[in-house]
Amino acid sequence: MSVIMSEEIEEIPLAASETSYSDNERNDIFKREFMPHINSMYNFAFRLTMDEDDANDLVQDTYLKAFRFISSFERGTNAKAWLFRILKNSFINDYRKRSKEPSKVDYQEVETTYNSEEAAEVDHTTDLRIETVQDMIGDEVATALNSLPVDFRTVIILCDIEGFTYEEMAKILDIPIGTVRSRLHRARNLLKDKLRTYAASMGYDTDEH
Amino acid sequence: MGLDMQSSPSATENAKYQKEYCEHHEECLKKIQAVLDGGATEDEKEHFRNNMDHCLHCIKMYHLEKCVKESLQSKIDKRLCPDNLVATIKAKLNI
Repeated sequence: MSVIMSEEIEEIPLAASETSYSDNERNDIFKREFMPHINSMYNFAFRLTMDEDDANDLVQDTYLKAFRFISSFERGTNAKAWLFRILKNSFINDYRKRSKEPSKVDYQEVETTYNSEEAAEVDHTTDLRIETVQDMIGDEVATALNSLPVDFRTVIILCDIEGFTYEEMAKILDIPIGTVRSRLHRARNLLKDKLRTYAASMGYDTDEH
Repeated sequence: MGLDMQSSPSATENAKYQKEYCEHHEECLKKIQAVLDGGATEDEKEHFRNNMDHCLHCIKMYHLEKCVKESLQSKIDKRLCPDNLVATIKAKLNI
């Protein structure tokens, strides 16, 4: 189904077949299967946009689209993943229009860095202490997360904050599971780099030895 | 989530029998992350169990990864959807 301009990402997940619901059924699906996820959806929107007004707009836009294209949703399937996919695609399309953040460029740069032979020789883990991470407060962890390019931030939010499986993430992001795993790996290495740098700047001890 | 580490020896008590540096740490780290995410294959789980018996480096990576993951889950505030947004959506859809 094409619901948007051709250069944009298709926002509504394709269904094997569309279902014709009655008005009562549409309302029931919306209330029982979509609305229970609205806090997770808002949290995801806020973590993506880092702005309350933008998060409000994104969640509202997503729910209105979900209702409009509810025939593409198969009752009893994973509503949360379906909604997250719409929200993520809406964010990307809107985000690219606004050009607030050069996510694609950043993403590719970091991908290149972490794919390089030089990067493969770097151990990203042993100089960040467990105790340092345990001592950090939520705002410090959130700051490190928010500083990641959006594609990396997204996989960490989906996996570590929202608890989606690799399979669900693959569907939400429309990428293979292997790409989910490799992107998560790179995102976590980058996050630990951010945490280590932040910890060092704040005077935490980051030296293992 | 993941595998139970309680059956594995602690880093302290078995440190003298374990290698300090893992030459395959990037590949091992990917497997550790898959275990913690609950998405590891049987081969990855088996590799994880075996490594946890003798590789101090991998044990440290496991505990750091677990700590970072738990910090993301527990320390970052969960933003709740404002009530007025819920009301607005329902009003727009007339439901």
